[in-house]
Amino acid sequence: MDWQGQKHAEMLMQIFLVFSAVAAFGAGYLMRDFRLMMLIYAGGVVLTALVTVPNWPYFNRHPLKWLDPSEAEKHPKPQVSNITSSSSSKKKASKNK
Amino acid sequence: MHSFGYRANAVLTFGVTMLALMCFLASLSDTFTVPTTSAEVKILNINWFQKQANGNDEVSLTLNVSADLSTLFTWNTKQVFVFVAAEYETPQNALNQVSLWDGIIPSKEHAKFWIHTTNKYRFVDQGSNLKGKDFNLTLHWHIMPKTGKMFADKIVMTGYRLPEEYR
Repeated sequence: MDWQGQKHAEMLMQIFLVFSAVAAFGAGYLMRDFRLMMLIYAGGVVLTALVTVPNWPYFNRHPLKWLDPSEAEKHPKPQVSNITSSSSSKKKASKNK
Repeated sequence: MHSFGYRANAVLTFGVTMLALMCFLASLSDTFTVPTTSAEVKILNINWFQKQANGNDEVSLTLNVSADLSTLFTWNTKQVFVFVAAEYETPQNALNQVSLWDGIIPSKEHAKFWIHTTNKYRFVDQGSNLKGKDFNLTLHWHIMPKTGKMFADKIVMTGYRLPEEYR
């Protein structure tokens, strides 16, 4: 998911779950049936999970433009330059200690 | 919301929080019902009334308990626990409560009931104070919810008296 998609998914999750809870409580209270409330809510949670958790293409409509690989090759990462012979001897000396 | 696992965890955690809120509201909705209950306990017979070897009085009764507790049942009620207690005062204790019978009412259909029984639990005093004793019979109930707070209440019935002499 891209950044916009993540924000959208989070908002959808909150809305779906709050709505499921309200609908479940309302239905259970009106029908005087506790089990009905629990079933409706469980269904709501499953639906929310199906909509917001998987990486649907809908959440990837604003993809980030990563640098193209061919472009990256033209500007190589600066390498640590090879040590000169004088400094290498110094290094060897220090290594021995 | 950065990965599948993260989002799945978020759904479950927020889901459980909403569930807790729903259960709290369900329990709160119980406080809005105003129940009307009625009960009556008749002592049909005093079977025997003796002093035990250890010095404590004991009495055996046959009771008829009838009650209508159907208005106590809401959508959030799992069962109602009901018991009958004999209450009286002695020089030693300001209040003695002895449970004589209890039962569980599993649903509204069983809440209007009538039972004819000897006392399920022994009516034994702490000492020898029961001769000619005036006592109350109280029907207590505990409404056990499916979720939330348990409420308890009672009906006190006065005017019962034990015999003056052992029999």
